[in-house]
Amino acid sequence: MLRRTTLKLMATLTAASMLPFGALAEMPATVEKPVTISFYNYNLASASAGADATRELLAAFEKKFPNVKVETVAVPSNEIINRVQADIVAGKQPDVAQLTFRDLIFIANDLGGNPLEDMVKPDELKAHLRGMFAKGLELGKVDGKTYGLAYTFSTPILYYNADLFKQAGLDPENPPKTWADIDIAGKAIKEKTGRNGFFPGAYGPSDGTFVYQAIVMSNGGRVREGNKLTFADQNAAEAVKAMRDMVGSGAHAKIDPASATDTFAAGNLGMFLYTTATLSSFKKAAAGKFDLRLAPMPSFGEKPTAPTNSGSALFVFSKDPAKQRASYELLKFLTSKEAYTVITTKIGYLPLRLDIVDDPNYLGAWVKDNPMFRANLEQLNRLTPNVAFPGPNYRQVEKMMMDSVREAVFGSGDPVATLKAAQVQGQDLMP
Amino acid sequence: MTDIQADLARPLTLARATPAARERGTFTVLPWLYLTPALVLLMVWTYIPLVEAFQLSFYQWNMLPTAPQRFVGLRNYQRLMALPEMRNALWNTLYYILGLFPMSVIIPLFVAIWTQDLTGRARMIYRALIFVPMIVAPVVAAILWRWLLNEDQGLITLGLEGLGLGRIGFLTDPKYALATLTWITGWKLIGFSTLLFSAANAGINPSYIEAARIDGASRWGIIRDIRLPLLSPTILLLSMMTILFGAQWSFAYINVLTNGGPLKSTTNIFYLLWEYGFQTMSAGWSSAAGMIAFAGFAVIAAGCMWLMKRYAVYDN
Repeated sequence: MLRRTTLKLMATLTAASMLPFGALAEMPATVEKPVTISFYNYNLASASAGADATRELLAAFEKKFPNVKVETVAVPSNEIINRVQADIVAGKQPDVAQLTFRDLIFIANDLGGNPLEDMVKPDELKAHLRGMFAKGLELGKVDGKTYGLAYTFSTPILYYNADLFKQAGLDPENPPKTWADIDIAGKAIKEKTGRNGFFPGAYGPSDGTFVYQAIVMSNGGRVREGNKLTFADQNAAEAVKAMRDMVGSGAHAKIDPASATDTFAAGNLGMFLYTTATLSSFKKAAAGKFDLRLAPMPSFGEKPTAPTNSGSALFVFSKDPAKQRASYELLKFLTSKEAYTVITTKIGYLPLRLDIVDDPNYLGAWVKDNPMFRANLEQLNRLTPNVAFPGPNYRQVEKMMMDSVREAVFGSGDPVATLKAAQVQGQDLMP
Repeated sequence: MTDIQADLARPLTLARATPAARERGTFTVLPWLYLTPALVLLMVWTYIPLVEAFQLSFYQWNMLPTAPQRFVGLRNYQRLMALPEMRNALWNTLYYILGLFPMSVIIPLFVAIWTQDLTGRARMIYRALIFVPMIVAPVVAAILWRWLLNEDQGLITLGLEGLGLGRIGFLTDPKYALATLTWITGWKLIGFSTLLFSAANAGINPSYIEAARIDGASRWGIIRDIRLPLLSPTILLLSMMTILFGAQWSFAYINVLTNGGPLKSTTNIFYLLWEYGFQTMSAGWSSAAGMIAFAGFAVIAAGCMWLMKRYAVYDN
């Protein structure tokens, strides 16, 4: 708390020193003079549809605001927070950054992100946030203030290869609904086609924790309660054990977690539980090769699923008021109805303005042509926030957890004992 | 120290008599001046970071200048020692080093000796083929191997399946991944070592060999009694490099191919300390792991130096 106050004080002082009269830094109402802002973005760092769509949006922004030049910094999602941190350390102040929710507390407390409430006049902020998905906005808040403006969102969804389903004698019109169904379908695919059955995008280096947490929370587990780690407690551990059992039965593949997307895109994996952010890329890969279908994520028996959000929020770090205005305009533009139309149709993320879904001016026609996307929209109602870890060691705790999950699923020891051991070790590093 | 040696090195009378000598005495600043650039670089890039890493290893800090550095004493070391992944990483480091030996010393040594007798174009082509992996960029090489070994489409996996050996998860099965990465690291080193051995081998005075032939020595006898002893400095140098740097050379392949997995089977001490520092942003753990590695390798390096002095044969 003290740290944050000091930091804010420092930020205010820096900003104030840039003003001629030493007055409190208040953002101007418009961008008057030409200004250049930096934008750290991870969609741009991928060789997928995400990069093209982001470039298209930025070109449109610069056209609308000729005074603002956006310098982009493209960094993969698992490294982007380190890059932002490194640049702040080096004295290269970032202006806007697309960052993931797992780093939210760290960004607010340590990196000096600007809360929108402090930067923007209340009426102006309210006008922009109207119509945006309320649960999503909540996710970007720390202590009641919005540090991250929800930007790209998706939930885990089950992609499946209908051709492999047919070859394995399964009905592609009737995709698996529960984990028991996944087990049966996975085994059938493995045995009858020789390809891989099922794999979740939960263990790879750039997967974060969201698919894993979605599976755990669908079984009523949590990775932590307050400052107490609970990922080895009954419900959470049972969910992981279910994965392990499927590895044992052969339904759950044992492939390189870093290249699971490639394996699915190549048609060698029957079912893949992953973010909808890869939808456009999969559609391209599947075109003319196999019949790609989508289904909601599977449930544990009758328990309701708890799809968590993957995805990102936009954070503003600018200290200079003119740049703050330009940065805020970029935020507004990227979360507008027009932008979400591009983001949803060209990348596959969810539109965080649900009023555009059936609006013929925006997504209406596209959703009609792509009815399978409804599965993703339906899950939005049950969206459960991804849990971030607190404290200075949050990354290590997260790593210990994920390492133990991998060991529990693919290793040879007792899965529950593995998780328990990691939980004890990790608890030591919690605040 | 330098003054004493300089005085002892020349006749005392001469030293007193000539004014030039006194000038030389006052001008000893000059050699230091020449050394300055090298010393400054050494300080800035090696010794200051070493001291700072030593300090950091007693603190808990997330590398952010605005965040406080909290003194934790020896707790970073205690934690690391208690972590099973640390022990695992140290064993893997040993495995990498031992696994690299055949490819960084033994095979190149024999390739160099045997290709010595080849002539003209055959030798050129043969050596070029061996040297090519060396000049392929590590990340490119890693990606090539990833494709070759891919479980579903890889040429090697499909080839082995064709031979009836079944599919082997070279990079996905914890049983094989470490051996695979050791092989890839070593494959890149064969060219480099062969080059060094060839140069050393070509530098052996041919008159020794001729004299031995006149005395009726067999081909193997010449290798055993003349070539190998005269190659011993190079053999020991490459052995030392393998021991001290071998595990570091695997870093790029670990990072691109496995990220230390599957199930931490391919992680080593260098990858682990990088992960602590730059993935989980824990400067204290990373520095502590670095200091452990530094201390261990310092002892080993001293041992290697002693061995080299003891066993190397120099042809003077």
